[in-house]
Amino acid sequence: MSLDDFVAFSSEVTGFTEFDLLGTGQAQSYRDTVAGVVGEQGLAELLSAYRREVTELSDEQLRAEQLTRSVLGDPRLGPLARNIIKLWYCGVWFGLPGHEDTFTASPQAYPQGLLWYAIGANPPGARAPGYGSWAGPPRIPALPASPIPRSLTRNPSAG
Amino acid sequence: MTSQTQLLDRPLPAEIDTVADLEAYLNAALRLEHATIPPYLTALYSLHPGTNSDARHVIRVVAVEEMLHLTLVANVMNAIGRRVDLTADDFVPAYPAHLPSGETDFLVSVQPFSPAAVTTFLNIERPAKAPSEGRRLLPYSDDLGAGTVLAASPLNPGVRFYSIGEFYAEIDRGLRHLDHEYRQRGEELFSGDPAWQVTEEYFYSGGGEVVPVTDLASALRALTLIAEQGEGLGGGIYDGEGELSHYYRFEQIQLARYYQKGDVAARPSGPRLDVDFSAVYPVAIDTELADYPAGTPAFEAAETFSRTYADFLAYLTAAYHGQPHQLLDAVAWMFRLRDDMNRLIRNPFPGRPGVHASPVFGRGPLERS
Amino acid sequence: MIFPEGASARTSPAAVAGRVYDVVIVGAGIAGAVIADRLSREGRSVLVLEAAPAEDLTIKGYEAYLTDFYAAASKDNQSPYPVIEPVPMPRSTDARPIRPGGPNTNGYLVQNGPHSTDTTYTRVLGGTTMHWEGKILRMLPQDFELAEQRGQGPKWPLGYADLEPFYREAEREIGVSADIEDQRYLGLTYPPNYVFPMRGLPPSYLDQMVARGVDGTRVELDGEEFSLKVRPFPQGRNGIPNPAYDAGRGFVPVGAVSTSQVDEGERCQGNNNCVPLCPVQAKYHAGKTLAKALDRNVDLLAQSVAYQVHTDPETGRVTQIEYRHYHDPNSAEYQTGFARGRTYVLATNAIENARLMLASGLQSRSDLVGRNLMDHAYLLTWALLPEIAGTMRGTNCTSGIVDLRGGRFRRDQASFSIDIHNDGWGWPTGAPVSDLVRIVDQNTYGFDLRRSLVDQVSRQLLFAHMIEVLAEPENRVTVDPRYRDRLGNMRPVISFRVPDYTMRGAAFARRLSRQLFERLGAQDHTSYDPSEYGYVEFEGEGYRILGGNHLAGTHIMGTSPGTSVVDDNQRSWEHENLYLVGGGSMPTIGTANTTVTATALCLRTARHLLHELRHQDQPVALATH
Ligand SMILES: Cc1cc2nc3c(=O)[nH]c(=O)nc-3n(C[C@H](O)[C@H](O)[C@H](O)COP(=O)(O)OP(=O)(O)OC[C@H]3O[C@@H](n4cnc5c(N)ncnc54)[C@H](O)[C@@H]3O)c2cc1C
Ligand code: SF4
Repeated sequence: MSLDDFVAFSSEVTGFTEFDLLGTGQAQSYRDTVAGVVGEQGLAELLSAYRREVTELSDEQLRAEQLTRSVLGDPRLGPLARNIIKLWYCGVWFGLPGHEDTFTASPQAYPQGLLWYAIGANPPGARAPGYGSWAGPPRIPALPASPIPRSLTRNPSAG
Repeated sequence: MTSQTQLLDRPLPAEIDTVADLEAYLNAALRLEHATIPPYLTALYSLHPGTNSDARHVIRVVAVEEMLHLTLVANVMNAIGRRVDLTADDFVPAYPAHLPSGETDFLVSVQPFSPAAVTTFLNIERPAKAPSEGRRLLPYSDDLGAGTVLAASPLNPGVRFYSIGEFYAEIDRGLRHLDHEYRQRGEELFSGDPAWQVTEEYFYSGGGEVVPVTDLASALRALTLIAEQGEGLGGGIYDGEGELSHYYRFEQIQLARYYQKGDVAARPSGPRLDVDFSAVYPVAIDTELADYPAGTPAFEAAETFSRTYADFLAYLTAAYHGQPHQLLDAVAWMFRLRDDMNRLIRNPFPGRPGVHASPVFGRGPLERS
Repeated sequence: MIFPEGASARTSPAAVAGRVYDVVIVGAGIAGAVIADRLSREGRSVLVLEAAPAEDLTIKGYEAYLTDFYAAASKDNQSPYPVIEPVPMPRSTDARPIRPGGPNTNGYLVQNGPHSTDTTYTRVLGGTTMHWEGKILRMLPQDFELAEQRGQGPKWPLGYADLEPFYREAEREIGVSADIEDQRYLGLTYPPNYVFPMRGLPPSYLDQMVARGVDGTRVELDGEEFSLKVRPFPQGRNGIPNPAYDAGRGFVPVGAVSTSQVDEGERCQGNNNCVPLCPVQAKYHAGKTLAKALDRNVDLLAQSVAYQVHTDPETGRVTQIEYRHYHDPNSAEYQTGFARGRTYVLATNAIENARLMLASGLQSRSDLVGRNLMDHAYLLTWALLPEIAGTMRGTNCTSGIVDLRGGRFRRDQASFSIDIHNDGWGWPTGAPVSDLVRIVDQNTYGFDLRRSLVDQVSRQLLFAHMIEVLAEPENRVTVDPRYRDRLGNMRPVISFRVPDYTMRGAAFARRLSRQLFERLGAQDHTSYDPSEYGYVEFEGEGYRILGGNHLAGTHIMGTSPGTSVVDDNQRSWEHENLYLVGGGSMPTIGTANTTVTATALCLRTARHLLHELRHQDQPVALATH
């Protein structure tokens, strides 16, 4: 499964655009981290389930139901999908049954955590916002126009 | 003998004779100081995170001090009661821009960190004195292409200075000359509102200190600081504050060793310095918005960045226009620009395999339409 | 700030063996560093023995800490610092409830209980200031007179006025940012025209929101009425220099320490990571002072753990310090060395100073070494504000409520100050990562996830009540030959019970925070789990008391050998040429984070030592004239 597939799936489950995700510089490292733990096969299974069950639906409501049911709700795929979300959000791979190890994907993963980006803050110790910036209200970034990854919309060349 | 005392002996006529001339020169100086910031920032953020710590620190300090230089020139401008404007259409140069290096000139590009970039940085900061009075100003050919010619005479089209040092020497001379003339007439050249001066309280560089300008002495001090931070004091490697000058900071990268107190030029004896030119995002060189395929997220991000950058320049302009406290937020702006640049630089350039996206620095209202 | 290249390895055990220094200092934290610095200014020969490894302080070494911190899956407050066998240190994650039948020997501290503490200190070059938060509160004048005024705690041999000039000196050394107008309350006085070196850091958006709800709240206690106000804390981190400082001479902030010029850290950037590590070194750490001292030829012998203080049985004078020097931080092999001086200073912090004295068999006749261990008791309460407060931004803590630091009520119950934590519920719940995990595990993803995070993290409010703890002889550090570290040093054994006096303060704090949350329209989420360490039951209610990291009291100062271990110069009553310095000398800690007071005491001791050494020199000087 290609990096693009991984990033498209990640975009939909994290709520960040593919551009934002690539902009962390961590996409390849995360993909390798996931494959390293669950194997290429395990990752491919997740991504093809997503492709098969979700990507063709254009109705957002249906799409959400389907994603919740067949991916997040799947006893095997769900934990993996949730772990990928957490990985993007804080750089940590949390131990799963069978793969108990909890670890940070790389030292540079943590500073790129989307968790802090989502709330208009910075990960403690990284991406400093500047003297006095804390005195004003947080700048919480707007959500993208659509939850559907750009590369999966009809005109993929524009993605 | 310092360059200043030497200048006093220089025969006239030189270029600056009126306040309008001086204003034109200061405007050129603002452009010149600013012109180095996009290349430094792009090289800085092209470094892979977690790598190249030494180079990162060197470039970061220089970039921040270029902001200081911009502010110092703004202080001189405000001190003579003229307006600082960073929003003019041509304020951000077209890259690659031309800078003088003695008889020849060289190109300044917005490019990734590389040996070539380091050479350019050294060229920017290299100390150079014209061999004779007659060579201070040199003609340049008009077939230089679209790139802006920096350190050119703002009064005489087709003429540029031998070096940045000589360019500033001219301003130095002009200031003395005009101050003298004003005094003789019983007038005050430095008639600007002192409340507009950016003081240390509002601007913080990490390196040198900002000089509030209220008279000839402080104006000359401000310009001297710019020159010394760039190329060192009187041929030494340190400036008057004991800070290593930019030229020698960059040379450390080339020589892979730090300077320390007591060292002389070209012979650093401090700790080793490591550079990894491969741990760099290969960002596109001298990108224009038009280079990005329309409709791609990279295009949109580059456009947004460019607009944000133009807004930043407008914000600075307002700060220099009697609102110095606004500069306190300039740091937060810079950090946000940093995050935006990083996001862009880590994305591939659409349609150019092996090349990464690169920031485009907004050039006033023109690019906004 | 340039760290002189090679200074960390200038001397060796062999070279040290052949010398008698004017002063041998054990410990390169802030206490040892300021004394070394002041002594070296007058050309005194000084040896600093440091347990931890010491490379030259470079920006790269510092960034290695940062990388380790980034890489750590659990970001507890020791996570940037390498764990090495010869020099173990306490870690908050080692704390466990203490089961009847034996101490918790899990971590470096052997915990006898009944209270189990998660307090820590750091054994690295620069000591615990590497990871401290850097809140710089002076003690109140009334804190020095608690015994006289309220009949509580041991007496101080000196008062606020005696220490005031040294507070100012410490504030210069640390580089304190605060606005003087904000710091005049409850009798805190300064000389006319005094300002702090740098202007106060702006209060966070969260502080401002809390202030709108809390300011003006009236509280009645022991017949006195208090009006509450959110007030910024003085900070040991760089801000905007105040041009009025030092009679208009201004102040130049001290930035990052490195062997090469880096020009960084002259101003805080809001990394919100002061604990455990400020990435740009805007926060003071003792390396800044050490760099100055080492530039003046102070000798630093690293990887040398003080093992025993040897004394002359006749005179009680210290004759030498025996230390264990290891070559490899990954092995417990060592060689024994001895360091000799005319005077000795133990500056290893309250727990380690007592440990070393007791391990050397140097219990005082008063039996007070190790006793009266104090540490602030932290009670946390947390709630969700009705609006987005932008939590998780700024320095760890910019403001708090200090109005209940003093008052008549101190005759019955502990005073406290309240920190408003900019890092939300991080301390008790592990927010925001714990929130992330919880929300994602509910299968919330995408935009909903982003919205939920803003909703549940950016509204977090945490009050940390820092409650006074008084000296109690049974709260103590002891040693026990059964518990040793890999280098053969006896480990500190801690016995601690949270005094009722403190718990009365805690109970009051809990009630007050309910009231404040209500005023703020905030939803109280506080809960204390009986199965977790730190749980204390008091008058039918449960609380969780966490460690304050403000260790003090194990060698308190006083006016007589019967009631104290050291005199007002921190000189041991029984060992004329020995000084035990730092928080351990404080007879009370009030509601001020201890470091600025301990540093002021050390600066005073430094002045005394210089005087003493000059005095000792005199006969020699006369003879040569
Ligand atoms: C998380 C945290 C937050 C804090 N926040 C604040 C705050 O906001 N404000 C405040 O005032 N205080 C704060 N403190 C407390 C402050 O850090 C300490 O009071 C201060 O650092 C103590 O300094 P010291 O020099 O006495 O001891 P230390 O800093 O502990 O230094 C002791 C030194 O001695 C060395 N050493 C130890 N044993 C030996 C031995 N046997 N032989 C040789 N060397 C030895 C150690 O390696 C170390 O270098 C905080 C502490 C922590 C842990
Ligand atoms: S907020 Fe950040 S920059 Fe400021 S002192 Fe703390 S860690 Fe350092």
